[in-house]
Amino acid sequence: MSFALIAGERRVTVDFRVFPGLAEMDGNWAALTVAHDGKVFAGLACHGCDGHLVMYDPKADQVTDLGNLTVLTGESNLHVGNQSKIHAKFGEGKDGRIYFATHAGWWFNYARVGTSEGYPGAHWMAFDPTTGKVQDFGTGPRYEGINTGAYDPKFNRIYGLTHPRGHFVYYDVAAGKTVDKGRINNWESICRTLGIDDDGNVYGNFGAGEIYKYDPRTDEITELPLHIPIRAKGISLGRDYFKSETHWRTVVWDQQERKFYGVDESASLLFSYDPHAGTNGEVKQLGQLCVEGMEDRRDIPYATLALALGRDRKLYYAAPQEEFDYGGSAGVGVSHLLTYDLANGKKQDLGEMHLADGRRVIGLNSADTGPDGTIYFVGAIEVRDEQSGNAESAGKIGGVPYRLALVIYHPQRHEP
Amino acid sequence: MLRAMSGDAVTRPILVLLLLTAVTPGICRAQRPPDYDQVVVQQNRIDARDLGYPPVDVIPNDDSAITSLTVAPDGKLYGATSGKQSYLFVLNPRHGYVQPLGFVNNTTTVSHSLAASSNGDLYVGTAPSGHLLKYIPHNEDNQPIRIKEPCPLIDLGVPVKGESISALAVDREANVIYGLTSPNAHFFKYDIAAGTFTTAGVVAETVPEGEKSEKQKVFSRMLVLDAAGNVYASGENGFLYKFSKQKQTLEKLPVQAPSIPGREPWTLVDSFAADNAGSIYGGTSDGYLFRFDPEKLTVQNLGKPLLAYEITGLALSPDGTIYGVGGDDRGMARMFSYDPQVGSYQLLGFVDVNRRPYYSWQAYVVKAMTNGLDGTIYIGESERISKLYLFFPVVKNSTNNPGKK
Repeated sequence: MSFALIAGERRVTVDFRVFPGLAEMDGNWAALTVAHDGKVFAGLACHGCDGHLVMYDPKADQVTDLGNLTVLTGESNLHVGNQSKIHAKFGEGKDGRIYFATHAGWWFNYARVGTSEGYPGAHWMAFDPTTGKVQDFGTGPRYEGINTGAYDPKFNRIYGLTHPRGHFVYYDVAAGKTVDKGRINNWESICRTLGIDDDGNVYGNFGAGEIYKYDPRTDEITELPLHIPIRAKGISLGRDYFKSETHWRTVVWDQQERKFYGVDESASLLFSYDPHAGTNGEVKQLGQLCVEGMEDRRDIPYATLALALGRDRKLYYAAPQEEFDYGGSAGVGVSHLLTYDLANGKKQDLGEMHLADGRRVIGLNSADTGPDGTIYFVGAIEVRDEQSGNAESAGKIGGVPYRLALVIYHPQRHEP
Repeated sequence: MLRAMSGDAVTRPILVLLLLTAVTPGICRAQRPPDYDQVVVQQNRIDARDLGYPPVDVIPNDDSAITSLTVAPDGKLYGATSGKQSYLFVLNPRHGYVQPLGFVNNTTTVSHSLAASSNGDLYVGTAPSGHLLKYIPHNEDNQPIRIKEPCPLIDLGVPVKGESISALAVDREANVIYGLTSPNAHFFKYDIAAGTFTTAGVVAETVPEGEKSEKQKVFSRMLVLDAAGNVYASGENGFLYKFSKQKQTLEKLPVQAPSIPGREPWTLVDSFAADNAGSIYGGTSDGYLFRFDPEKLTVQNLGKPLLAYEITGLALSPDGTIYGVGGDDRGMARMFSYDPQVGSYQLLGFVDVNRRPYYSWQAYVVKAMTNGLDGTIYIGESERISKLYLFFPVVKNSTNNPGKK
């Protein structure tokens, strides 16, 4: 791996692993976590087909398909909507299990929502590394998927926001029950990340960038008098009309400073949110986390979910060069790797991400940090073997074949 | 590349826009795609109102589920919400906005339990406490918005001790309020002039035999009056019940709301609407629309407009067309209309408003619907975050007037 300036362009060469036998998988959103032992778990989505749970063991350098989600949920013979995705963050429990929830892919154009032949509903699940088996806790929200989610080891709960109706729900693992706290968002603006602090409180956005807090002690949602920085919503320029522009796209929790760092959806505005400051917490805008030259532009691409806090106290963010959403992308671009140093507030665009053979990392949409400081992403890489007939791709982005891959960046190898 | 971008900063956004438009016309749109508009209510016929004056002076989320709507003789729409705390609101059609009137003390639910008498007083049936309350309108357009204060209400008492009020209706000529209670389905009457309650029996005596988890008696969520002032409900096994104005007694009629055979014990009427031609329309828990002739005591099953359970709202437009909303708590509500003259349905799509600042805001659950004096149909969303929808029907030439609830 190298980090070099090539003919005036900054490039960063990243490592990668594809998911063997799963070239059909066409997307990944948020579903990535690194366990305490360094194993990497990811959810691969497949529209119109079954999603998969995969694991990468960096010590063995091995990628393992842990299963087809529709099979794991026991719904293979129902002939209803597939379990096509894990569309939200995973979490590792105190028991070492990896907790997650499933999601639909296509929604039969919403014609079958709420019907017996449509999507039956998300399942709450856990992968047990000691047995290698996935436990299915059953259906959570009926007819709806878990669009957004997070796991809290403190209260041993899987939280979620449902699609399409935007309800705040959770599964209490110990009690074995699902609780629905009601609608919090509209279908086209479901907040894409739930943040959980070290007290087990859960945070999300509603309305025009307003923050709400769910307290598991009271089982209550409180709408806080706080806003994250957002750009006023107007008509999107070249953007999918249904992409929300009023919430944070993602947040990460910093245990050292006990605050969140996040990026808004529309203009990639970087902010911090300290939930412990004052009565309701404090939001500070820190700048804009985007490809150099895109600052303050109306057509800045929609933010990705690929934000992670490194062991070196830097935020790592995969910024899109073009509006990126896999097969729904506006065109083909190259993902840039950006850092923001929490120690001094310095932002760096490390440049375009390429593979060692020169192929482009087109876009990334999840990120997490390993115990050794390695930054992992999942997203779309370019496929170039089409002339030999060996190309395995999930589809095309702006005419360029792509497939999903685990993208690996080792910050320590690039230290000056 | 980076240098080129920064050196071409003025022209590049325009180029990008043109490229996006040219390369991916099916993916990236600046407007909502037309195929979406095919599945929602026609957008020039629907609008939405926040429940107050956002961002601050609105009925809070968690308390905003609209579960009762009624129109007073002067045309004002009154609504009540349910949640951790119930609120009352009014919409003066001349004014056009929802004005919160304050919260209803010790009340979490007001379900189909608003009724306006002939002098404009508003009666409120509460749950769980089961009180009948009275609100006397007084120059509301010049009153401050009340969010954190209680609505000034007069307590008229409890019709049946230990029971909540689950439905109200009014006979404006007789100056009488009628009601149902929950969980034991008592029918009661409140004489406004005398200030007295009378009970007339129950419309459901037993819980349907079935799963042990089922503990609720099954009876209608609304009451409806015919032109003669008789009052109707659905009760046990889906049978219709009549409170005779003349006899002042409650009787079980020999007709049932339509249901799939075998499902009668779980069948109830979710919504009623009466037209001025003497017919009563009902929407059932199985999603059937029916017409009840109170003179002939006949029920005509008009079929099932939607692939959904429950018709949770019915209202009549000035030309006699019936508008309805169907779908249960787990689905996504859709609108339909039924033309009694032709005997056919039109399926109108999701309840959705794509008007700034709403951006494709959808009502997934609807629990209340009524028609205004000017023909506007009001639709009450009933979720943790809810809005009031105004639907403007296409009115054919007709001398018919909107019916009454």
